[in-house]
Amino acid sequence: MNVIFCVLFILASILMLVKSPESYLSALLAGGEKAGSLCIFLLASYAVWMAFFALVTDTGLDRKFAKLCHPILKLLFRTRDEETLSFLSSNLSCNLLGLAAATPLGIKATNLLFRQGQKRDLAMLFVVNATSLQILPTTVFSLRSAAGSLAPTDIFLPTLLSTLFSTVLGVLLVKVIYR
Amino acid sequence: MSYLIPILFLALFFYAIAKKKKPYESFVKGIKTVPPLVLSLFPYLAAMFLLTELCTASGLTDLLVSLLSPVVRPLGIPEEILPLLLLKPFSGSGSTALLSEILSAYGADSFISRCACTCYGSSETIFYVASVYFAGLDFKTGKPILISLFVTFLSTIVACLLVRFL
Repeated sequence: MNVIFCVLFILASILMLVKSPESYLSALLAGGEKAGSLCIFLLASYAVWMAFFALVTDTGLDRKFAKLCHPILKLLFRTRDEETLSFLSSNLSCNLLGLAAATPLGIKATNLLFRQGQKRDLAMLFVVNATSLQILPTTVFSLRSAAGSLAPTDIFLPTLLSTLFSTVLGVLLVKVIYR
Repeated sequence: MSYLIPILFLALFFYAIAKKKKPYESFVKGIKTVPPLVLSLFPYLAAMFLLTELCTASGLTDLLVSLLSPVVRPLGIPEEILPLLLLKPFSGSGSTALLSEILSAYGADSFISRCACTCYGSSETIFYVASVYFAGLDFKTGKPILISLFVTFLSTIVACLLVRFL
C-alpha cells in the first residue's frame, strides 16, 4: 500500500509542479473535503445498519442465520468462533443483496479475525468483499434507465457471470497462496 | 427490489416484539458503535482521497490511460472505459460519476456503455475496501490486494467478451 501510495503521489506532484503549481493545494483540499463528506454520509448509513443489526443480534436471529450459512462459511473460512461466524454470514448476505451494511459488518469480522490471528481468513474475507458479489447491480440499472436505455437490465447476465468468475477465482487463489 | 428494505425492517420489528425485546434500546446500542468506527476510518479515507484528487487534477490519470490503451485494446476492452477501470478500485462515487458520463457520451445501449456497466457492476472499490477493512491493523495487505486486482482485471476481459456475445 505504501509503495503504490508513494509512487502515485510523487508522480502526480511532479506533473502538477510542471503544469499548474497554483492548483496543487486546492486539489489536496478537495480530497480532504471529499473524505469529510464521505464520513458524514458513512455516519448516517452505518447508523441505520448498525441499529438494524444490533436488533438482529439481540433477537438471536443472527445465530440462526449463521447456522444456515454454515456449509458455505466452512468452505471459505477456518474460524469456528460463533460471534465471528455470525458477522461473516451477515456480511456475505449483505454483499449479495448490495446493502451498505456489508462494510461495517465486514470491519467487525475483520477485527475479530485479526485478534484470533486467522491470516488466511482475513485475506479470504477481503478478497470476497473486494471482488464484488452483488446479485442485482441496482445502481447500474437506475443509471442506465436514467440515461434513456431501452433495456436497462440486459447487462444482468454478463455482470453476474463475470462477478462470479472473479470471486470464485479469487477464493481459489487465496486457498492456494495461503495453503 | 425497493420493497426489500421496508419489509426487512418490519419483519424484524414484529419478530423482536414477539420475542419481548426492546428495539429502541437495541437501536441506540448499535448506533453507539458508529461514531468511533467512522472516526477511525477518516485518516485512511482522507489519505486516499488526497491521492485520487491529485492524480485527477495533475492529469496523471489521463497519462496512464494513454499509456495503457495500446495494451488493453488487443484484449477486447474498449479504451473508452479505461478511465473507469483505473478509477473504480479507488473511488466508488468518482466511478459512479464517470459511468454516468460514459452513458450520456456514448448512449446507454451502445457497446461501450454496456461494457462499462458490466465492468462497473462486477468490480469493487478494492483500495477503498482495503483501507477501511485493514484500518489500524498490523496486517500485510499486499497479497490480498494483488489477488483482488489481478482477478478483477481478468474478469474485466471476461465481461467485455460476454457483452459481445450475450
